[in-house]
Amino acid sequence: MSAHASDKFVYHEPGLQHQFDDMKQQEESVSIGMWMFLVQEIMFFGGLFTAYLVFRSRYPMAFAAGSNHLDAFWGGLNTLVLIVSSLTMALTVYYAQKSNRSMQVIMIVLTMIFGAAFLGVKAIEYTAKYNDGLIPVAGLNKKVKEDPGAHHEKAKPCWEVEHGAAAAEHHVVNPRGEFLWTDCSLVKLAKDEAFLTDAEKIGYFSKDASGADVIDINKFRDKVKIFYYIYFVMTGLHALHMIVGLLLMSWLLWTAWKGNYHAEYYMPVEMSGLYWHFVDIVWIFLFPLLYLLGRHFHH
Amino acid sequence: MQSADAIGGNVYDKPKMNYLTNGSTLKSWLLTKDHKRIALMYLISVSAFFMMGGLYAAAIRLELLTPNSDLMESGTYNKAFTQHGVLMIFFFLIPSIPAVLGNFLLPIMIGAKDLALPRINLLSLYFYWIGGGLALFALMQGGVDTGWTFYTPYSTTFSNTFVMAVGLGIFINGFSSILTGLNFIVTVHTMRAPGMTWFRLPLFVWAQYATSLVMILGTPVIAITILLLAIERVAHVGIFDPAIGGDPILFQHLFWFYSHPAVYIMILPGMGVISELISNFSRKKIFGYEFIAFSSIAIAVFGFLVWGHHMFVSGQSIYAGLVFSFLTMVVAVPSAIKMFNWTATLYKGSVSFDTPMLYAIGFMGLFLIGGLTGLFLGSIGLTVHLTDTYFVVAHFHYVMVGGQVIAYLGGIHYWWPKMTGKMYSEFWGKISAMLVFIGFNLTFFPQFILGYQGMPRRYASYPAELQVLNIFSTAGASVLGVGLVMPVVYMVHSLFYGKPAGDNPWMLPGLEWRTASPPPTENFEKMPVVTWEAYEFGEENGLDLEEAKRRDLAVVS
Amino acid sequence: MADRHPEHEHMEHDHMNIPKYLGIFMILVVGTILTYFAATVDLDFIFPGANTLLALLIAFTKMAFVMLFFMHVYWSPKLIWLSAIASFFWLAIMFAYTMQDYFTRGSGVFTG
Repeated sequence: MSAHASDKFVYHEPGLQHQFDDMKQQEESVSIGMWMFLVQEIMFFGGLFTAYLVFRSRYPMAFAAGSNHLDAFWGGLNTLVLIVSSLTMALTVYYAQKSNRSMQVIMIVLTMIFGAAFLGVKAIEYTAKYNDGLIPVAGLNKKVKEDPGAHHEKAKPCWEVEHGAAAAEHHVVNPRGEFLWTDCSLVKLAKDEAFLTDAEKIGYFSKDASGADVIDINKFRDKVKIFYYIYFVMTGLHALHMIVGLLLMSWLLWTAWKGNYHAEYYMPVEMSGLYWHFVDIVWIFLFPLLYLLGRHFHH
Repeated sequence: MQSADAIGGNVYDKPKMNYLTNGSTLKSWLLTKDHKRIALMYLISVSAFFMMGGLYAAAIRLELLTPNSDLMESGTYNKAFTQHGVLMIFFFLIPSIPAVLGNFLLPIMIGAKDLALPRINLLSLYFYWIGGGLALFALMQGGVDTGWTFYTPYSTTFSNTFVMAVGLGIFINGFSSILTGLNFIVTVHTMRAPGMTWFRLPLFVWAQYATSLVMILGTPVIAITILLLAIERVAHVGIFDPAIGGDPILFQHLFWFYSHPAVYIMILPGMGVISELISNFSRKKIFGYEFIAFSSIAIAVFGFLVWGHHMFVSGQSIYAGLVFSFLTMVVAVPSAIKMFNWTATLYKGSVSFDTPMLYAIGFMGLFLIGGLTGLFLGSIGLTVHLTDTYFVVAHFHYVMVGGQVIAYLGGIHYWWPKMTGKMYSEFWGKISAMLVFIGFNLTFFPQFILGYQGMPRRYASYPAELQVLNIFSTAGASVLGVGLVMPVVYMVHSLFYGKPAGDNPWMLPGLEWRTASPPPTENFEKMPVVTWEAYEFGEENGLDLEEAKRRDLAVVS
Repeated sequence: MADRHPEHEHMEHDHMNIPKYLGIFMILVVGTILTYFAATVDLDFIFPGANTLLALLIAFTKMAFVMLFFMHVYWSPKLIWLSAIASFFWLAIMFAYTMQDYFTRGSGVFTG
């Protein structure tokens, strides 16, 4: 630092940018910068979590019903997949610190494989939602035409529909690909046990001819739709971050392959790692908050 | 870069090349990583947006000259005030001081060669241009009429104007703001020159630091909010539409979680500029340095706790209204601390009334009125009467224009010689400062009365008995307009015909005055070593050039 | 010049080794499995929402391990600690002040 007065005689380390005096200052700046970026990422997802909090506290049964139809097996598997990728990412940094090029490359490849696996599972889940008519945007679901020869069961009241079964499994026609929801057994349960919130007492019911409250499946469906909207926005943005992470990893793979990183210079590896772990942390919260709501009602 | 005889160096020797002459191709500007060039490009862009926003303001005032909506019909009027708000807030007020003055000065003030992350800085400029371009595109296509607040469900369901393009523009522009804030925080932490401790930082830097905190913590929330709004508008499904069980108040919570702190993004840097001006033109060490520094941080923190005072009549619970009302009173305290300290600094200072100082004194008066009327509006009982009247309009223009714009103009005048090396005409500078002050008060003070009498905002027509005050207001607006256009003329004139300013035209001790005007590309010929406190004037309560030189020689060699 | 990098500590390489990384990894795996099974047990007899609280506690624990050891926060300068804590503090502000509105709607305390 003190050598500033005689700049032209100073040996500039490769990778040191002109505005810095030494590598230490550069590393520190980059690291603080990355953390500030993560802080803004936390606030970015924070807005979504606020929305989640508001609607979950208002319509807990709709959230539980919606959540019960998410596949906790795939969600849990994805959590494990991401944790493994986090481990391999951490080991990438470790091997960069140890100047071990071949292990770095192997670990980056493993990280990418697990990251891609995560997205693959996500695609499987999204496809299932598409088939079941659970994408909250009208027209984006699988369009099911009416089959004239099909046997029509007498329509059951929504609270007698088997819980957790998708609408599509009842051969519901959905010619325009709309959001479908036929099951309100949880509302019935909650009503009988008297733990509906004030908002729910208004939000799920309408008056019948005699003036009594009956469960209105259409109103309930709209609330479940809100759950699925939040689910798709949250997991969608998370998946977008995964894709960005994979692009980052591709670049990292290329540069690590060239042997750029070693004990004296591994900042890009460490910074990419911070990003990757952050995306992992978001999922650690998304998994219980989206997939595991109200599971205990049925056990 | 060093002149041959500079061993032991006289920093007042002209460097052979400054940042303006170091490369003249278009590429050398568009791909520059020099914070000073980026700041200049921001200056030009921000000024262009300011003028466009100003044109809309002129249209609004012309329409309100008469009680009937005769110049434009209501729909057009809605677009005019919306676009005035969007352009002024997102593309002028928020980037103005941080991205122009902060970008230019922050590294120089702390003795760094550049911002810590110059490429990120350039990226933020491009985000700004892309965001601004999208907003302009929407304007040319036909504009947007939701009001700058984009309240749902109007913006998601009913408005058939170009909400998406403007929203996307604001979304992208938000990342420009985040990256600027990120850069400033990193720079202040890691790039300070030897000896530049935290409590030797100029207060402008403290203010920028506090602003950056707000930018990083708040801006992402508006980004996600606008994203949700956009999805809702495109896919016709979402969480803000009450017709399907959604909640428009949630939009307001998320929106104001950013947009109230954004008020502090606008005013905090202005306060930083004023701290500089008051101290330097009183030739007196600022009174209560630590208090001013920490009150900036306090404003940044408390600013996040008061957003509900925009929602008193929206259907928010009365309990929440009370809490937000109380916290609004709390956030007035740090602002008041600043006012008292500035006043105490002026006391027994040798005050000189150069153009920048005229702006600073104007700021103190106008911001005082703006701040105190804010307390009226923060009182939950009174505000029911005043919400959505011209009282609110007058209040926030007193803070935003009387505060931020005037501080920005003062800062531009103050640092213009440093940025360009040329001195503008002091005579015309003073005239324009007076015109701005008079025009501003004539425009907006009648609006307090109008609002008190119940004239609602956002209408193209009004009862005939309110016309007199509206005529005052429109007349004032034209004076204000002249006052705001004049600096453009005489400052551009000074670029070509102005006297060379010299390195330290005001004879001040700050680090930015110890390098050449305009500064060389890496800001200093040699890295400065700071051995003095901020705002340390000589014993005679004035700093003469000889002493400054002597001190620099002692310090640098 | 001594005060130029007051918060800097040299980036040490030798805090973690492979067994430690694997140990943290195992904790995270166990946490995930625990989250799943905890969700299937009805804890409402303790208080309503106990399941969610438990899930969040496990999630926070997992996050703490990832941040402290995978992201090396444990050995980072105070500023990094501060920014990590501050971001969650601001999240808490956003949650708390938004929810204080929703939880007191029509409670009757101040209406009437």
